[in-house]
Amino acid sequence: MLLPILLAIQAIRGDRDLIERLQRRDPQALAELYDRFGRLVYSLILRVVRDTAIAEDLVQETFLRVWNRSQGLDAERGSVGPWLLAVARNRAIDYLRSAAGRERNAVEFEETDHPALFCDMEPDILRSDKTRRVRAAMEKLAPNYREVMHLAYFEGLSQSEMAKRMGQPLGTVKTWVRTALKSLRDELGVAVTS
Amino acid sequence: MNCNELREYYELFAIGVAEEPERSEIRAHLNRKCEVCMAGVKKALEMAAMVGSAADAAQPSSKLRQRILASAGVETRGFRWTPVWAMATALSLAGAVYFGIQARRDAGETQRIRAEMGLQNDEMRAQGAEITRLTEAFAILNGPDTKEAAFGGARPRPPRGKVFLNPTQGVLLIASNLPPAPLGKLYEMWVIPRGGRPVAAGMFQSQPDGSAMHVRRGAVDVESTNAVAVTVENQAGADQPTSEPLIVAAVPSGASPR
Ligand SMILES: [Zn+2]
Repeated sequence: MLLPILLAIQAIRGDRDLIERLQRRDPQALAELYDRFGRLVYSLILRVVRDTAIAEDLVQETFLRVWNRSQGLDAERGSVGPWLLAVARNRAIDYLRSAAGRERNAVEFEETDHPALFCDMEPDILRSDKTRRVRAAMEKLAPNYREVMHLAYFEGLSQSEMAKRMGQPLGTVKTWVRTALKSLRDELGVAVTS
Repeated sequence: MNCNELREYYELFAIGVAEEPERSEIRAHLNRKCEVCMAGVKKALEMAAMVGSAADAAQPSSKLRQRILASAGVETRGFRWTPVWAMATALSLAGAVYFGIQARRDAGETQRIRAEMGLQNDEMRAQGAEITRLTEAFAILNGPDTKEAAFGGARPRPPRGKVFLNPTQGVLLIASNLPPAPLGKLYEMWVIPRGGRPVAAGMFQSQPDGSAMHVRRGAVDVESTNAVAVTVENQAGADQPTSEPLIVAAVPSGASPR
């Protein structure tokens, strides 16, 4: 029977179907995107900006940006969730930097949330059980390592900025960052290509 | 710098905090399509997404969804449902894989499915054993490689499924993770027109493995259908849903099958 196979294939193609519909600008696809990832996007942005009203504005900006740029995503192999989170984080960090009068660099955002980069990713990395593992891994880090991770991921500080903020020599901070990233990688089983 | 020297900086690059000279070096490798750095940065972006998803869960205001859809120039469809139903929609949209035939781009595929559906129904009458063969498909649906969207509901294993609507053939629903309804109860499918009350679309039971397939034969006005839902009802059936829906599949509006 063709039908069962057809059905199974379509289940696996969940993301692909959504991406194709976003690219066709099917309004329901935007609604579905929001229903699937709205909370995740909001939680991440709120974690960065710590203000609910600003967070909602930035969520809106994030979804509009994705809605308008979905053409760049690979319909076959694209990963819409990770891309959405990257755009969300960049929006939030950009806000934080401008609010703090820190240097803003639009180019680096363009290159780190470019939709073409978000393909061939592991499916299911945003599933709640994985998320719990990430949280546990972060909590297992020693306080100084955890702090550098938070400053990098959630405040968008470079290593020089961290050194200044933490009142530590740059070399020390670099070592902490390296060690923290390594243990996070190991803990999450993220394979690094050699 | 060579790729090996850049490895440590992929994560920092991916989150936009790499410094010079590493940032420019990685950028140069990416620009010349260096496969090693491309793969490394993608892995780093994957890890960044995972870290980002681990932020403490917070709930945006309920108005935000509408605001975003409106600002994108998308008309929101009126769900004239009770809050319970509206909530259930929001929850199950997050997890249920749903699919409307009219959303298909490939006309040939639509034709094929239409043919399959006719064939399927005929065969089912001829041999009830077809269900057993479908379990193979459900095994795949439940397989570890199968993409599963995050689900915000209270149930740890939400029913997953698809709904196919065909204007002349009818409505086909398949589901997995749907435990058999308790004794004296059955599942009832509902076709919900836009702005209207749910219309009963037949009773069914799921298999012991949690898989189910239900067909409502006959013409259906696909264009005016807002959603297809499933509730647990008494064996005799109900005129209107009496419990919270376990499955709600929103039917995409727009282009109909060609
Ligand atoms: Zn390279």
